[in-house]
Order: sequence, then C-alpha cells, then structure tokens
Amino acid sequence: MNRLLAGIVLVLFAYYPAFANERQPIKPKPKDKCPVCGMFTAKYPDFLAQIIFKDGSYITFDGSKDLFKYHIKLTSNNHTRKLAEVDSIYVKDYYNLKFIDAYTAYFVVGSDVFGPMGKELIPFKNEADAKVFNKDHKGKIIVKFEEVTEAVMKSLD
Amino acid sequence: MRWFAKQRYVIDFTLSSLLRRKGKNTALVLVYTLVVFMLASTMFFTYAIKKEAVIVLDNAPDIVVQRLVAGRHDLIPISYGDRIQKIKGVNSVKPKLWGYYFDSIFGANYTLIVPEDFPHGRGNIAIGYGVAKVSTSQVDYILPFWDHKGSMTSFTIKEILSSESELVSSDLILISEDDFRMLFGIPMEYATNLALKVRNKKELPVIAAKIKKIFPDTRPIIKDELLRTYDSVFNWRSGLLLIILSSAVLAFIIFAWDKASGLSAEERKEIGILKAIGWETSDVILMKFWEGTVISLTSFLAGLLLAYGHVFFSSSILFEPVLKGWAVIYPKFRLVPFIDPYQIAILFFLSVVPYTVATIVPSWRAATVDPDSVMRT
Repeated sequence: MNRLLAGIVLVLFAYYPAFANERQPIKPKPKDKCPVCGMFTAKYPDFLAQIIFKDGSYITFDGSKDLFKYHIKLTSNNHTRKLAEVDSIYVKDYYNLKFIDAYTAYFVVGSDVFGPMGKELIPFKNEADAKVFNKDHKGKIIVKFEEVTEAVMKSLD
Repeated sequence: MRWFAKQRYVIDFTLSSLLRRKGKNTALVLVYTLVVFMLASTMFFTYAIKKEAVIVLDNAPDIVVQRLVAGRHDLIPISYGDRIQKIKGVNSVKPKLWGYYFDSIFGANYTLIVPEDFPHGRGNIAIGYGVAKVSTSQVDYILPFWDHKGSMTSFTIKEILSSESELVSSDLILISEDDFRMLFGIPMEYATNLALKVRNKKELPVIAAKIKKIFPDTRPIIKDELLRTYDSVFNWRSGLLLIILSSAVLAFIIFAWDKASGLSAEERKEIGILKAIGWETSDVILMKFWEGTVISLTSFLAGLLLAYGHVFFSSSILFEPVLKGWAVIYPKFRLVPFIDPYQIAILFFLSVVPYTVATIVPSWRAATVDPDSVMRT
C-alpha cells in the first residue's frame, strides 16, 4: 500500500510541469515591483501584465510595454531567467479588464491612451475590438505577440 | 498627586477671578462662541452635503443616457439600448423607470423608482420613511394613487425602507414595472432613461461621444460629471459664505487679541499682589494659561455643539438661502451627521491654541516685573 502511494506521488511529480502548462493569472501583492521600471504594480490593476514561470514564480509589470522590454531581454543569453522557463503570459483586455493570454492577444501601438509608464501597447482579445480601438484612439499599428520587435518598442519610448 | 492638587487650586482661583469680572468675560465668551459656531456650521454643512452626494451617486451608473425632445427630457425607446450595447467597452445597458408623483391628499411629492428586481410583486410597494410619516401608514396599509387616466388604484405597503441617507430614501416609493407603466401610461417599448455600466473608466468619454453620434437626440451623462458638478457647486457656496464670515472673524481676532494681550492696570495690580503674597512667576503664568484655556475651550465646545445642532437638527436654518440653492429638488431634509476630525482639529488649532498663547505672554512680562513697582503704578 505504502509503495503504491509512493509510486503515485512519484508519477505525479514527474508529470507536474505537464499539468501546470497553463498556470492561472495571479493577483499582485502590494510589494510586487515591476523589474523594468521599479514601480509597485498592484497600484495599476488596469494595465497589469504578468509572466508566470514553470516553477510557479511570477513577475508582474505595470504595463505591457515593460513586459515586452523584459521579454526581449529574456531571449538574450546572459539573463538570469531563460525563455524556456516561461509557463504563461497574461495581459489585460482594455475593454473588459479581464486577463487574456498574451500569445494570442492583439496589441494596438501608438494610441492616445497612456499607461503608468507613458505610451503603451494596448492589449485586446479580439481583432475586431483592437480595430475599433485603433480607430477611436488614433492607433498606428495592430501587432501580435511575436510581431513586437525592438523597432516597435523604440517607437514607444 | 500633588501636581494635580496644585492645578485644581489654581483652576479654582482662576474661575473665581473670572467670575469677579462677569460682564467682560461673558461678552468675550459669547462673541467667541458665535465665531466658532459660524465657522463650524459652514464646515459641517459643506462636508456633510458632499458626503451625501457621494452616497447618492455611489450606486449611480457610469453613464446615464437621456433622450431630449426640444431640449426637454423625454422617454427613451428601449431599442436604443441594443445599438448602444454593441459599442465596444459597454458592459451592460439597462432601461430605468422612475418618476415623480404628487399626492394631493397629503400634499407630498414622491419619487417612484422601479428597482431591478422588486421582491414584492404586482400590487405592492415599498415606501421610504418620509412617505410613511406623511401618510401615517404602516406595513400592510393601503396607499391610494390616481393613475394617468384619473381612476384610482391602491397599492399595499409591504416594506418601509431605512437607508443611511435620508436624502435618498425619504420620499422614495419602490414599485413593480407593470404597476409603474400602468400608473403613468408609459408604453412597454419606452423607459425613462438608460443606465450603462462600463468596465474601463478611461473609455467613458469615447463611449459618450459615440452614443451622441449614433443617437443625436440623446444626452449621455457621465457619473464623474455629476460628482464634479456637486463638488464645485458646494465648494463655491462654502467659499462665498467664508468670505462673508471672514470680516467677522477678523473683527473677532482684533478684539480677542486686544483683550488677551493687553493687561489692564487692574490686572497688573492683581498680578503684583499675587507676587507680593508669595506666588511665583510660574504660578502666575499657570493661572493665566488656565484662564485662556477655560475661556477658549468653553467657547470652542459650545460653538461646536451649537453648530452641530444647527446643521444636523435644524437643517441649517440660518444658511439655507445661501447654501441650499438647489433645495427646490427636495425642500426639507435632514443631513446625515458626518464629521471630519481633521477639520475639527484645524478649527481647534486656529482658535483655542492662539488665544491661550496670546494670554500667557503679556502676563509673563507683567509677572517678571518687581511687584512693588507694579503695585505703586
């Protein structure tokens, strides 16, 4: 009996990362800081973005711009964290302020809506929403996650 | 213990010396109280009414959409809501039904509202405290109404509402949607206005502008606009009152300064005698300190209490014409007592402390002079 239990625990452990592939978004603690700009992120819930790692740790950002700045650094070799450690990335849909998967989201760049760190990439779950927003708020381009390059980031500084 | 005993004796002496100059000191306390009363009344009133506005508007929708016909508020077709619902960023659109009813029997004006889910069903109503009082009715009594055709209908009172703000609930009657439409003859496809919920507050101006563009005969009102209007109106009114009061306050300051800082020859002589019979300079200062405290604290507390009664029990009778310009909406109401401790602290430090300090300095100067020379002059 005991050996069976130990076996189950062992199997569970071995597959643990597979279970955790889509970790749920978390609520930032009051002390959580954005690693890019150093601001407390819990104060800006409307623009909150977060990376959740496979080991359950997480980093919160006070806007998707800082998230991308951090994400671009992740791809370079001399960073403490590796891209492979990332489990999921969440941003908040502008219209209903719910967390959405950043990999499938649409981002409007160059709009007249400013986040806590100035110009922002504004996330949307649907392309239609992004297009409407782009028109209403004088956005320049709509990009997907993988299309956010350093050139796009430069236009936001 | 000895310290306390000493203070007690000094206070005892001070009080009897104050009583010896009854006329002068009573006049001083009266004027002082009046000034504190005026200032505190203004503060209490504006603070309480702003709080009241916040309570009223707390549950208000993010945007209210009204329809205007020839510049007048009119019924809005509920079908407008379907189009507005499609605007990005709008979470929900709800048609609202409400209105006023003049009860000719009791000569009272009621506000009738159809709540989202009315628990008592057709033929029943829930009434506010003020309505219950004016119609002397209780639960299970019947309240008669004349509908728009002139025939009489009655509703059974199922509940008497109690709310934290009397301004909101006093004249309120909650009624079911069907009864409301029947009473006022409002067709099914119309509502009084539309209430919108918007999740992202940043998007409010854009949504309001879009509504105005799609339906040019509507007027979208953002909640913040209402709050700002209330705020600026009451800031302006209290500012006006403070300017009027400032001359009175200035006159009092001059008067009090003169009374407190200049010692009369008689008082000098008294200090001289006290010193001659063995009082120390510190004792004299202590006595003068208690004298200032007794006068200013008494006036401060009395003024504060009077202001509280004035604002919250008599509905600010004295200020009514200036402060309640909008009182036509609801002529008689009592404010919920809200008090800001910060404001009371400011008032305390601007009245009691300076007065007490002002009394000590001259008496200290008089007390350091040789008693012999003081008594001779």
